[in-house]
Amino acid sequence: MPYVVDTVEVTPQLLALYLEAVKTVGLAVMTDAGARFVSCATTSIDVGENVDVQIIWFFDDHDQWNVIRRNLVLDPRWYEYAQRTAALRRGGTRRIYHPVAFSSS
Amino acid sequence: MIRRFEIYSVQAQAPDRRVLALETACRRCGQFIPEVLHTAVGWNLSDAPAELVWEHAFDSAETYRRYMVHPYHADVLDRYLLPDSPERVVADNDLRAGLVGYACDGPVFVMAGGVRRLVLLRVGRDASPTQIDHLVSVLGDAPAEVDDLTLSVAGANTLGSAWFDAETPIGGRPFWGYLWEQGFRTGDALDAYLDGPSALALAERREWKGIMDDIVEAAVSVHYVIDAPRPQPG
Repeated sequence: MPYVVDTVEVTPQLLALYLEAVKTVGLAVMTDAGARFVSCATTSIDVGENVDVQIIWFFDDHDQWNVIRRNLVLDPRWYEYAQRTAALRRGGTRRIYHPVAFSSS
Repeated sequence: MIRRFEIYSVQAQAPDRRVLALETACRRCGQFIPEVLHTAVGWNLSDAPAELVWEHAFDSAETYRRYMVHPYHADVLDRYLLPDSPERVVADNDLRAGLVGYACDGPVFVMAGGVRRLVLLRVGRDASPTQIDHLVSVLGDAPAEVDDLTLSVAGANTLGSAWFDAETPIGGRPFWGYLWEQGFRTGDALDAYLDGPSALALAERREWKGIMDDIVEAAVSVHYVIDAPRPQPG
């Protein structure tokens, strides 16, 4: 079962706004499209550097991801979510991970 | 066969290394997804609001669907393309032609090199099938009239709405209903056509007004040197 892992850099000042966007818009958009939410976590906030936010989703396989992507493309909220979060982040990465055999999840 | 184009603007602030990564990912797509054929990347030289053009093709709707679910598509290409990806390098634009394509009987679009031009045509809703057939026929026969034109293929933009599986339309009618793909040996040959005396060049300069029963309401084009690297600023 693959995981979509977004690791996003935000400044501490914008962290709350970023998390609010994920919580109030991103969760609904992604889960309505068919992705399943795994976790959202951050690095430490008060350590004098920008914060990494890691958001993880999972899906059954790439056939399902193709359907999820179609659903996202057809959902106007996705574009609003993308614009809102793009304005709040400094950078980041997106990677898709596949669990190894000895991993339980 | 399915001929397909993805056409993108690039974010002004996108890091060069990431733009190069997208360009490379498009160029190498066929190495990882064998169903993706005739891949080439070009950088638009026209005034249209687009920069990167990725041209490619598929043998059938079935092979297109295999491309859609291939891990390389989601894991690599989408990294730089999807609006919510933190690594997105492309930008929204007003072209309304992010993904377009048409069906053809074989690889009639193949060129060894040179300049590719893609004209996007908006045909009026009132145009009859006969008028549309005539338009497509005239455009397809253009090399017989225009010396500088080495290749000319026209077809309905079926992928503009059937982008999910190459068969089922999703959403409404695409803004650009027809595509006219042209080939030229050089940029000078393209300029010679555009400035030349042919009826089609004249139609383009007149923005299709008073020609072909006025069924073409709007047109825009991109053109690029096939597989040329990204032009450097300045």
